[in-house]
Order: sequence, then structure tokens, then C-alpha cells
Amino acid sequence: MYIEKKKLSIKDVQRISTFTSIILFFLFVVLMFAFWNVQVLKNDYYKSLAIKNIYREIEIKAQRGLIVDRNNDIIAENKLDFSLFLIRKNIKNLEKTIKFINIITNIDKKKILNRIKKYKEYPESYSIPIKRNLSLEKVIYIKSRFDEFPEFKIAIEPTRLYPYKKIGSHILGYLGEVTFKELNQKKSGIYNLGEDIGKIGVEKQYEKSLRGTKGAQIVLKDNLGRIQKVLSEKNPKIGNKIVLTIDWEIQKYIEEIFKDYIGTIGVVDLRTGGILALVSKPNFNPESFSGFLGRDEWNALVNNPNKPLTNRFLQGLYLPGSVFKIVMALTGLQEKIISPSTVANCYGSVKIYDRIFHCWNTSGHGSMNLYNGLKNSCNVFFYTLGKKLDIDIIAKYAKMLGFGSRTNMGLPNEKVGLIPTKSWKLKHLHQKWFPGETISVSIGGGMLNVTPAQVLLMISTVALRGNMPQLHILKRIEYNGKVIRKFKPIFNQVSISKKNFEIVIEGLFRAVNDEGTGKAAKVEGLDICGKTGTQPIISKENPSYERLIKIYRFKAHSWFASFAPRNRPEIAVVVFVEHGGDAGIVAAPLVAKIYKKLFE
Amino acid sequence: MNDYLKYFDKFTFIIIIIISLFGILLICSVSQSLDQPYYLKQLLWLSVSLIVFFIVLRIKTEFVFRSSLFLCIVLSIILVIQLVAGQIIGGTKSWIKFGFIAIQVSEFIKIPIALYVANILSKTKIIGWFIFCKLMFLLGIPFLLIAMQPDLGTAFILTSFVIISIFLKRIKLSIIFISIMFVIIGSFLSWNYVLKPYQKNRIVSFFNPEKYSQSSGYQIIQSKIAIGSGGLSGKGFLKGSQSQYKFLPTRHTDFVVSVLGEEFGFIGISFLFLFFFILFYRQFNFKSQTDREFYFVYLFNFLILFQFSINILMSIGLFPILGVPLPFVSYGGSSLLSFFIGEAIIFKIKINNYLNI
Repeated sequence: MYIEKKKLSIKDVQRISTFTSIILFFLFVVLMFAFWNVQVLKNDYYKSLAIKNIYREIEIKAQRGLIVDRNNDIIAENKLDFSLFLIRKNIKNLEKTIKFINIITNIDKKKILNRIKKYKEYPESYSIPIKRNLSLEKVIYIKSRFDEFPEFKIAIEPTRLYPYKKIGSHILGYLGEVTFKELNQKKSGIYNLGEDIGKIGVEKQYEKSLRGTKGAQIVLKDNLGRIQKVLSEKNPKIGNKIVLTIDWEIQKYIEEIFKDYIGTIGVVDLRTGGILALVSKPNFNPESFSGFLGRDEWNALVNNPNKPLTNRFLQGLYLPGSVFKIVMALTGLQEKIISPSTVANCYGSVKIYDRIFHCWNTSGHGSMNLYNGLKNSCNVFFYTLGKKLDIDIIAKYAKMLGFGSRTNMGLPNEKVGLIPTKSWKLKHLHQKWFPGETISVSIGGGMLNVTPAQVLLMISTVALRGNMPQLHILKRIEYNGKVIRKFKPIFNQVSISKKNFEIVIEGLFRAVNDEGTGKAAKVEGLDICGKTGTQPIISKENPSYERLIKIYRFKAHSWFASFAPRNRPEIAVVVFVEHGGDAGIVAAPLVAKIYKKLFE
Repeated sequence: MNDYLKYFDKFTFIIIIIISLFGILLICSVSQSLDQPYYLKQLLWLSVSLIVFFIVLRIKTEFVFRSSLFLCIVLSIILVIQLVAGQIIGGTKSWIKFGFIAIQVSEFIKIPIALYVANILSKTKIIGWFIFCKLMFLLGIPFLLIAMQPDLGTAFILTSFVIISIFLKRIKLSIIFISIMFVIIGSFLSWNYVLKPYQKNRIVSFFNPEKYSQSSGYQIIQSKIAIGSGGLSGKGFLKGSQSQYKFLPTRHTDFVVSVLGEEFGFIGISFLFLFFFILFYRQFNFKSQTDREFYFVYLFNFLILFQFSINILMSIGLFPILGVPLPFVSYGGSSLLSFFIGEAIIFKIKINNYLNI
């Protein structure tokens, strides 16, 4: 204005007022425009931010479905546990936080930091699970220090409980934290990092059924994230109940008698194909995997040379040994190469293709027909038969009886095994088939590779005179007492005549009941039929045989494949003992015990 | 007495009351989320302010002007005592407690300063070095005392007197140049040696609030979300999620306009602006017959306009957060009372003007 005089004139005042009013007017126009811009033009943007501020969806974990045996005995259930969570957003001093966790859980500081880092792509407010199974004292201690450590949260969550601990661990499997790999396989959205997923066994196979449906709460929160109001709530749905065909009484009994062995036992109900017991030793406690960090026990399990995590019944690959003679006998009969009256002379060994093949009985069995060949497990009889057979024909029957493919009984990670053929060898080893190899195969050696489950399927098929059952472990799935899915027994007839099965069964009957190799399996009144298999690891021709055979890992594997009763068969049992030695001495008595228990 | 009623500017008075009631309504809206029923206290303060208003209206203007220097000195001394012996409330030494009530002396000192500056301006032709130094001395001491409390907002508002003085009076160019140099050097020095980290953060985060959204930019962002999400007509009384769920900081004081923007929308804001515009328009278009009174009206109303603009611009992130309340609207007894006292003097001046005293 530059008023230079002391006294203002009316004109001066007028001038100042007008000028001020113009400035005032423009100021208010600018202010109005600024508010118009924020409130009207950018309304949607700020509205979405305001909504993001206050609403939050909180997931409510669902309880996992129960697993029960055929008699409704609960073998996997849930309990409520205190779990410790960490919310990164509220961390004041990371070092102090990690130190506190370290004191409480004894988890290595570096591991804690790595774990927190793993969640870097999750929102800052995400609850990172740190420790499960917190004791009440620790819960109280942590809660008393919430003011100092607002980043901690304690929640009560359902966790898995296996009331029988180690029993049936390979059937049940275990739960473990979902991995990045699993999250990337379309499972994100269903699972969050830090949550559990079935890793092996039934827990994995029926994960979808067991996991249930998460619930959700939509809440209003204030600036500190405290819940002000619950707007809506969807309750979680417990997972389905899985009813297995397993009979836990028998399972427990077999685990008891088998507890000092390494190996596997499978029992099947021949009327349905349902597995009654599946034991693999050594086994593990599935509960050791719950709880987040502390992996010492896990490392101990993984690094154990006896591989307790391997389900030997489905994942163990072995030579079938003499058990395979059943396949050979059926092949010979069906192909009309031999008849019950065909005779071979056993002098303890035989020379075929300029090579000496030994019988297990070095002094020889003498004149053997098919029945006695099976009864005494005479190698020479089957060498002679093998010489007359083509490997591809043997493979055809072996595959017909279930070898070389998965049994699909309802447990994950099952192995296929191998039934070699000429074309397989050419393709994979780029070599043609040597006839001598067929001779080895004819007593269950050579390149054969089978799982105990496949042997169980084969013996079951024999027991049912060619009526091959679909082995299975799932009886039905229930929700809320209602049956959702039920397994209906399936049988497929294989193209081998009943008459030929009867012939083989006579041989298997003699092996147990007529002073054969499996006589230790005999139970009075049960008409058990069976076949031993002692699969040597080292050859008797090995110069240090006498010394080595005393070492555990050079001892022969012991097989016993059996069923009972002979007519109207009900049960089939396969026992496999790793490095058990003579099957007739090791495996056969176990079989007898199991049948006695089953038919008591 | 009849003359008093006749020449009393009833219209402007009603506008001020309406603006004050805006404040009560907004404070009422957020009081549920606060620990105290602040709107009742504000209502009490409004009543007190009105009583004081009419008392001041009875005091002779001449007396008011003559006692201004004395009051300036007394209040400055109180400010010194506060700095030395005052207790810290809410992080500053701005308050003096008298039993239940706490008074902010810094809010009141602006009235005698405005009166005295008006007195000086009316007696000068051109602002030379001597007058300038006198003004600086008069403003500088309270400014520093208040800034040290520390209450940068209230101190900053005092600079409005310098701006309006330069606007109204001719000033020597050399003073302007040297002052600008001083400001630059002063800013540099205070940035490096005086300002506390949180104060610097406020300024830095003003230029990039998103980067500091969890810390110092938080307030700016939450205030903008509140205002922006209000839209044209607002979310309704008591229905603003930002205001009710405590996302807005100091929502009853410095960010009270954000509550208005959220719950009553652009329409509510427009009404508030309209009333303020009328207030300023009427006060600035007052044709005083005496210079001293004219300068005071301009000095004091410009201070209100200055404070109003800073508060509004701050709430939508166009000005750094200074902690300045919105005149007549924000919660705070001292602020409300001081504005009513200042306005009472202006109303008295208007009456005098008509009565030709």
C-alpha cells in the first residue's frame, strides 16, 4: 500500500479495503478449489484408503478332521494349544525382540531372524507363528510383558494330537509347515505361510478333506489395530472325518511283536481288500513335527541311517526272492510249460548256459514236482522252469499279478518297482537281454524290484484264485455323522485259470503244513498257506562269505507271504524283515502269531 | 446503552457465534473417542468468553491502547517465569495452571502486541530503521519466548504482524534486503542447531508424506484421508471412521476441520468458509475514522486470517504441520477467549466510530 503519511484519508482506507477484499476473495476461491479437489475429485481414492484403514478380515483356523480306525477308535484328533505369534509392525527394537524369543523358546537367534525374514512379502500386520505348545507359565510371563513387547500375540489354536504316538505313524503321516513350493502350487489363498499341511501318509493323501474350511471375521479396528466391533462372522467348518480300514487293535499288537525289527508287515482283509494293519519299522512320533522351529528332532529323524520316515511297505524296494516262485509257477502252468507232474532233479546246483546255479539246499532236494518245489522252495526246479520261459512272458504274468505298478491303496509317494523286460533293458541300459538273467529272475533275483505292498497284492490275488482286490486304506469319509464318500470293494479277475491257482495253493499249503520251509507259520486249524523268501545279499561263492554273513548289513532279507484259511480265504499277511536272515526262522513265526491274534 | 445496541455489529457477532458453534458440534462429534467431554468444557469456555466479551466492550478504547505496552511487558515477564519455572504439560511449557483450568499466556500476548504495533504504525510515516528495530524488539522477545516453550505454531503466527505492517506501510528497501538475508541465515542456523528432530521431520515429511506414512507423515495422510473420504456431503454426524476410530490426530484441536470435512463433506466445509469469509469481509471493510483503531482492526483480523489459512492448508497437506488451532473452532479456552477479547475491542471501536467518540 505504501502509505507514506501519518494521517490516512478516506480514500486510503477505501483503497486498502478494496484491495484486501480482492485478495480475500481469491484466497477463498483457492481454498475452495483445494477442498473440491480432495473431497470431490479424489473422493473414491480417499474413500478406499479410509476403508482400508478400518476394516480387516481375520481368518479363523478350522479344526482338522478326525482320523479313526474301522471301529471308530480315534487315532488323530485336535487339542487346543497356546501359540506365540509375532507382528512385525509393532516391533520397536528387533534385536530386543529376538533376544526375548530366544530366552523363551531356546531357538537359535539366527533361526528366528531367518524366520521373520521369510515373511517379508506378507503385510506388516501379519501374525508370524513363532512357537506352539507354550506352557502356561510362559504364557503368563509373556503376557505380563505385553506393554514392553506389543509385537507379541498369544492365541489359542487347535493343534494335532496323536493319542497313540508312534503307533501307525506311517499310516497317519504328519503335519508340517507349508513350504514356499507348496504355496506356489495353487495353494496360496488356502494356506498362509506358517500354517500346517499334511506331509506324508493319510494326513497328506486326504489333506483336502481333513483341512476343513476356514472361518472369517470382518472387524472394525481403530488406529492401533484394536478391534472395535465385529461386523460379521463366518464360523470355521471342521474337516471331514476319515474312517480307515485299519483295525487299531491288530495294528498295536503287530507293532508290539515287531518292535525290535526293521522291516514291514501288511495285513489285508480279503473279503474287501481293506488294509487291517500296516506296520513299518522303525517309525516315528508324528507329534515331533508340530511346533514351529526346533528342528533338532527332525534332523535326527532325517539323518537316522535306518530311515524311520520311510514307509517300507510302500516305498521300500527289494528283491522278492523265493516269493516270486509263486509267479513263476503260475506262469509255467498257465503257459502249459509245466504240469503238476513235471519233475526236476535237484542235486544242490545245476549248470545252465555254462554257468552253475545253486540251490539254497547245497545237498539237493532230489526229485521235485511243482508241489514240493514250492514246499521246499527248490531253486533248481524253478531254474529249470525259467530256462523254458521267455522273460517277457514272465513279466506279463508278474505285471498281471500286480508287480511293476502302484497298488494305489490310498497312501502317497508309493514306489512302482521294476519288472524287467527285453525292451526295457534295451531302452534303459542299451543292452540286449541275456538268457542267464532269466534264470536269476526265476528265483526272484536279478533286476526285479518290488514293494512289500505289491507282494501283498499278489498273494491276495492268489488266495482269491485270481480275483484281484483293490487294496485300500480308506473305508469312508464322514461329515457330521453323514457319509460323504464310501469305498466300495472292487475285484478284478486276472486271466489265469482257477485250476492253476488251486495247484499253486496246494504247494503253498504244503510249505506251511507239511514240514515245508514255512512250517514255523503253522497254526493248528487255520489252514495257513504261504511262501517264504530268503533273499541273500551276498553270494555263497563270495570267498569271505562265512565272515561277512555275520555282519548285519550282509544278512539276507526275509519274506513271508501268506493267507488263511485255504478255502474261503479271509486274511492275507506279508512280513518283510530287513536283514532278518532265514525267513523260515525269522518271518514265519511272526506270521503265526499274527494269525493267532486275528482268529482268536 | 441504546446507542451501544444500535451500533453494535449484531450481524458479525452472530457470524462469530455460528463459527464457534461449529466448533462445539465438531468437538462433540469426536468427544466419544476422547478421554474427556471436551465439548462441555468448550461450551463453558464459550460462555466465559461471551461474558468477558461484553465486559471488554464496556472498557474505554483509549485505556486499552494506553495499557498495551504495560501488558506486553507483564505478559512477557510471565512467559519468562514460565520458561524458568513452568511445568511441562503435553511436551511444552505453554500452560499455567490455576486449579482446574490451564491458561496459555502465549495466546493472550498477541492482543497488546497488536494494540501497540497499531499505535506505532499510526505515528509513523515510513518504516525506517528505528521503527523497524522497535517492532522487531517488541515482536522478537515474545516470539523467542514462545518458540522456546516450545510452541512454534503460536510463535509463527506473530510473524503475521510483520507481514501486514509491510503490506500497509511503506518500508525502506534496505531493511527488506537485510531482513531477507537474516531470515536465510537464521533458517540455516536454526535447521542445524535449534530445530529438534521431530520438528525437522514434520517439515521433511510435508514434502513427501507417503514416505513417512508410519511416522511423521502419518498425520498429514490421515487428515487428507478423512477430508477426502468425506466427499460432497460427508459421512454424517458421528459417522466418520477416521474421526471416530482415532485415525485423526488431535482431532478436537488442530485437525478439527478434518472432522468437519469427513462428517459434513464439502458442503460443510463450504458453509464454514462462507461464514469466515463474511467475518473477514465485514471486518476488513470497516472504515475507521481514526488511524490507530484502523491499524488494530487490520492487524488483529489479519492474524485471524493468517492462522485460519495455515490451519486449513495444513489439514489438506498444503502447509507443514505447525500445531496451529483454527480460530473460534478448535478446542482450547485460551485461544477462544483471546479471540473474543480481540474482537470485543474491534466491536467497541466500531461503536465508537459511529458515535464519533
